[in-house]
Amino acid sequence: MLLVDDEAAIRDNLGPFLGRSGFDVSTAADGAQALEIFANERPDLVVLDVLMPRLDGREVLRRLRASEQWTPVVLLTQVGESYERAAALEEGADDYLNKPFDPQELVARIRAILRRTAAGAPSLAGTTRLASGILSIDRMARRTWLAGAEVALTPKAFSLLEYLMVHPDEVISRDRLLSSVWGFDFAVTSRAVDHRVAELRKTLGDDSLAPVWLETVQGLGYRFVGRVERA
Amino acid sequence: MKYVVAFVPLAIGVGCTMVGVVTGDPREIVVGYSFAWLWFGLGLLTTGVVLTVVIARNGRRHAVANARAAGEASQRENQARFLSRLDHELKNPLTAIRAGLSNLDADDPTVGSIDGQVMRLSRLITDLRKLAELRSVTLDLAPVDLSELASEVVDALGETPEHAGRAVTLGFPRAPRPLPRVRGDYDLLFLALYNLVSNSMKYSSASDTIEVRGSEGDGTVTLEIADTGRGIPNDEIARVWEELSRGRGALDVPGSGLGLPFVKAVVERHGGTVNLESREREGTLVRVNLPV
Repeated sequence: MLLVDDEAAIRDNLGPFLGRSGFDVSTAADGAQALEIFANERPDLVVLDVLMPRLDGREVLRRLRASEQWTPVVLLTQVGESYERAAALEEGADDYLNKPFDPQELVARIRAILRRTAAGAPSLAGTTRLASGILSIDRMARRTWLAGAEVALTPKAFSLLEYLMVHPDEVISRDRLLSSVWGFDFAVTSRAVDHRVAELRKTLGDDSLAPVWLETVQGLGYRFVGRVERA
Repeated sequence: MKYVVAFVPLAIGVGCTMVGVVTGDPREIVVGYSFAWLWFGLGLLTTGVVLTVVIARNGRRHAVANARAAGEASQRENQARFLSRLDHELKNPLTAIRAGLSNLDADDPTVGSIDGQVMRLSRLITDLRKLAELRSVTLDLAPVDLSELASEVVDALGETPEHAGRAVTLGFPRAPRPLPRVRGDYDLLFLALYNLVSNSMKYSSASDTIEVRGSEGDGTVTLEIADTGRGIPNDEIARVWEELSRGRGALDVPGSGLGLPFVKAVVERHGGTVNLESREREGTLVRVNLPV
């Protein structure tokens, strides 16, 4: 895999950690170098810092996707603002972590993505329209349909549904949903997640006891159990 | 400059009159004016003068208000820019330290202790950042039932080990009608109330009383969070809303000094107000007013 960050201290410390976790790691110090190494080494996954001098991470991702390269990308975002996160998924990142992150969490995310791609599942990153049965969403237009009829979701509920749909079959903890979708983890607020999931279930008519889409995994979090396809 | 312009018509008039006088212009205009219409003329003239004065004053007030708003906006912008720079400069080193620590032996107590402090720093930066962001973030507005919110907050606090078993008396009206819903961001209001009730719990003992009350009046809904806890010394009350301020009497209880500033930011984003009354050793009352 390829680790791209302009901060030498991060490359020097994170590189060996990822190496000890069983990955074969190359590093690049900026976007231009990253594209060069990518072309030569064809890594299975790229960990990409967003804020870099010259060519930033966002631009590198855009160029990769524009040239039909669907190699999974994990973005290391700097800013916690929600539009940043929405933009990260829209531009085709498979996942993103806010700095400063727990290195173990990065490894867990990488493994989840590799499991998904190893199973032959198509990458859902960079796909505008997703569908699961009669449920479909347009990630760019932020719209949702049930059996062809549009349903209105609050922006937060939509982002939550989007995040779960892009990570199907993965158990996602409330804390991860909070930091990824909400962008804050003030105090103990996992109830906010439960509240939104209840709202989503009500709007979509999903039964919590026999879920078609949103499953509660006791003590762990939530999982999108429906089969997700590009629409 | 503007005043000079005002005198231009007068100067032209004087000029023309002088020319007329010197050349001996013989023409005369005799004006007949009905006395009955004199009052109308005087009235019109006075209104004109008064209107001019009022418009001039208003203009000045607007200019002052605009200048003040621009000043505040630029101050906010400066603060936001500073926080975003601080954020950027601190996040990379912290990321590197956390990655470096994970290469060391996790069982080493020194490593554990450094890790704890790094986590604390990370949290502090994140919280500061959120506080700055809160002033610009888009609210996810929906009708919120405050009495439902209050019982959820109390339930959530009851589930935390440090506050298990603490009783809170909820006082929300049911007759003649329940509180009207307010338009708000459920998650942010939840966090604000959570902070306030948890403060009441943190700064009181198990035998103290804590009440959360709701009432309605004149287009607003008022939430009161009251306790018979240790209270806040008089000279510190004004500072409770400042970022990172911690009272003398609060140093034995863990806290970041960001809770109340967060509450204030949330309430203000909802167009409401919040104030705090407290007496040392008697207790504290926080009053949150939100528009319906």
